[in-house]
Amino acid sequence: MAPNVSCLLLAVLFSAGCKVITSSDQMCAEKEANKVYNCEYLGLREIPDTLPNTTEVLEFSFNFLPTIQNTTFSRLINLTFLDLTRCQINWLHEDTFQSHHQLSTIVLTGNPLIFMAETSLNGPKSLKHLFLTQTGISDLEFIPVHNLENLESLHLGSNHITSIKLPTNFPTQNLKILDFQNNAIHYLTRKDIDSLKPATNLSLNLNGNDIKGIESGAFHSKIFQNLNFGGTFDVSVILKGLQNSTIQSLWLGTFEDYEDQDISSAMLQGLCEMSVESINLQKHHFSDFSSTTFQCFTQLQELDLTATHLKALPSGIKGMNSLKKLVLNVNNFDQLCQINAASFPSLTHLYIKGNMKKLDLGAGCLERLENLQKLDLSHNDIEASDCCNLQLKNLPHLQCLNLSYNEPLGLQSQAFKESPQLEVLDLAFTHLHVNVPQSPFQNLHLLQVLNLSHCLLDTSNQRLLAGLPDLRHLNLRGNRFQDGSIPKTNLLQTVGSLEILILASCDLLSIDQQAFHSLEKIHLVDLSHNNLTGDSIAALSHLKGIYLNLAANNIHIVSPYVLPILSQQSTINLSHNPLDCTCSNIRFLTWFKENIHKLEGLEETVCANPPPLKGVKLSDVKLSCGITAVGIFFLIVFLFLLIILFTFLVKYLLRWKYQHF
Amino acid sequence: MQGLTAALLAWALLHPGGGGGEAWPTHTACRDGGLEVLYQSCDPLQDFGFSIDQCSKQLKSNLNIRFGLILREDIKELFFDIALLTKGSSILNFSYPVCEGDQPKFSFCGRRKGEQVYYAGPVNNPGFIVLSIYPEFDPLSPPPPTWIVATASSLGEYQVLLELYNENHSIVACANATVICS
Repeated sequence: MAPNVSCLLLAVLFSAGCKVITSSDQMCAEKEANKVYNCEYLGLREIPDTLPNTTEVLEFSFNFLPTIQNTTFSRLINLTFLDLTRCQINWLHEDTFQSHHQLSTIVLTGNPLIFMAETSLNGPKSLKHLFLTQTGISDLEFIPVHNLENLESLHLGSNHITSIKLPTNFPTQNLKILDFQNNAIHYLTRKDIDSLKPATNLSLNLNGNDIKGIESGAFHSKIFQNLNFGGTFDVSVILKGLQNSTIQSLWLGTFEDYEDQDISSAMLQGLCEMSVESINLQKHHFSDFSSTTFQCFTQLQELDLTATHLKALPSGIKGMNSLKKLVLNVNNFDQLCQINAASFPSLTHLYIKGNMKKLDLGAGCLERLENLQKLDLSHNDIEASDCCNLQLKNLPHLQCLNLSYNEPLGLQSQAFKESPQLEVLDLAFTHLHVNVPQSPFQNLHLLQVLNLSHCLLDTSNQRLLAGLPDLRHLNLRGNRFQDGSIPKTNLLQTVGSLEILILASCDLLSIDQQAFHSLEKIHLVDLSHNNLTGDSIAALSHLKGIYLNLAANNIHIVSPYVLPILSQQSTINLSHNPLDCTCSNIRFLTWFKENIHKLEGLEETVCANPPPLKGVKLSDVKLSCGITAVGIFFLIVFLFLLIILFTFLVKYLLRWKYQHF
Repeated sequence: MQGLTAALLAWALLHPGGGGGEAWPTHTACRDGGLEVLYQSCDPLQDFGFSIDQCSKQLKSNLNIRFGLILREDIKELFFDIALLTKGSSILNFSYPVCEGDQPKFSFCGRRKGEQVYYAGPVNNPGFIVLSIYPEFDPLSPPPPTWIVATASSLGEYQVLLELYNENHSIVACANATVICS
């Protein structure tokens, strides 16, 4: 019997040990020392004692707090942000946040609230954001109003609310965002809208409420920042109801999973009776698209027609002189000229990305858009053997051009001559054919950012980047260099103003010591995901205070002679390298400990060698390197020789002494 | 020594599953017309519900699905990755944006962490991928830009890895699915 009892005792001991381990596993994660903690998904029933009193931001979602009261958080009086998403909270009792004067955000999303006490939100001096999303609210009287004077945003989405009418004593003077998405609001009356009165520049979100009617005059002389009626079946109901209102941005789009009525020109008449700056009609179908469709759009500054099944925009649209921004993403154009750009002479921003068909740029289709500053033509399967002067003719003010994710483009010298003001050019993932020694970007005097990642460039072309006097940010990620090495003379020599250089994932094996000598202004070099060894660091010897990313390379040993080069930089990432943690790398390991404040990605900076230390963080390695066996051998030999020498010396001295006396 | 072994055994019995945690049960998304789709949540924190309305070897282009889950993250931006494998070799990888800031395709886009989402509706929009399983599929050619027509004509078993994640690469849902054509 006795062994059995001891067995049981042992078993209990083991399980106790196990429990200790699991509870220490379930610690909150420290995101910022003494301030920011994440305790999500830990099944906690109370605030752990391990959290310091100084905690300011607490992510406490997905735990278990059926009742919260004034003792629940009483210790954490410095809280500013408290996320209690899905903590199965039923009750918010009196004075829960009484001592939390700094609290500005409370998130109660997804809690099955039964009751909130009158004084449950009292205490915070400036409660700004309250999230009551999906808390089962059907009546707005449920929300205690006593301490909401400073409220800037109130989130009431996914509840059972049928009317937006706020209680008469509800303070709205500071309210900027009122979110009612996915409720059951079908009618808006004049009284409803009047209840929002003291609020100025309000954004009201009614997305996912099928509005069937708005009382006439409800929005008369009302001003809104944003109004969202997404997913409404009949947009004409909304536009009629918004008579005489002033709205900065009106979102009237629909969704894949929603039925909607085709928009006819007549349905958009309501727009003539109101003032709107920006309108979104995504995913609608138009039944009779013609130039008259736009007759009430004359004051509009921004129009978003994403995925509206357009094959062309009608020609001869009159009066759209004020339109500044036009979004035509995900439509069905065959040729760029089909957008009839001449109708929008003031356009500064044009977005045509993700076209459903292969887009042909044609010739001079945008030449009337003299004011265009930003043009996005990405993800369009655009293909051109000689780009882009003919295609993008006469865009003298273009500052930002995106041609990324297209089919191969052939570029000749001065390929962007028609837009000399370019500041940002994105060609990522578009294969570029440039013959040596052409300089396609020549004369882009103002270009600051050039993204050439994954362009399959011929990097042996020394003149590729010629004529870019102001280039600061160059991304060459995913391009290859001959023999995996950047030689002394290379394409970077013409871009001496570079501040940011990305050479990640370029399959690099080595970099010549002189390769970067012309880059003197640089402050960020990303060489991650290559096969570089420690010796390549020598190429950075003339640079100081840079951010250097050497993650995921092939660095085993860092020679002592490059350590001063690393020391003079501000931040270094050496993670995911097969670093050597033996005595042959002791100088580096010592340097690492001394410069730990400069290093980034410490969790992933681990040893690869010797096998016993594999996977151990470099910051945890303690090596004591005495003298090696070879060293001891030479030392003994040296001592032996010294003794012999000494005896001979003594003998010689003695002999000398006898001879002279 | 025997005592220790017994103690270890007792400990193991008292703590089933050890420290590894239990896997979520395998559910049937559909079983009909010679096609069976089984899935298991690979999100360690939660399970989710999913079903396909019409299920047959000739997957129709007008598929309706139902799913229900609790959001672990905000989904202002939501992306969908799919990897299709057979006998351990990859046939197809595809990534598709479901919700984007400038194009919220579905009504559930923009919902918040902690919200319970139930969706019953079509996945029939251009570009949305539906499992395409046909023997003459050429893994080297890129998938058709719009539809991948689903004709599961070949017998066999296919593994599908599905992942939904947001703009911070935080997992929203993850599934290991098995498609059996018989």
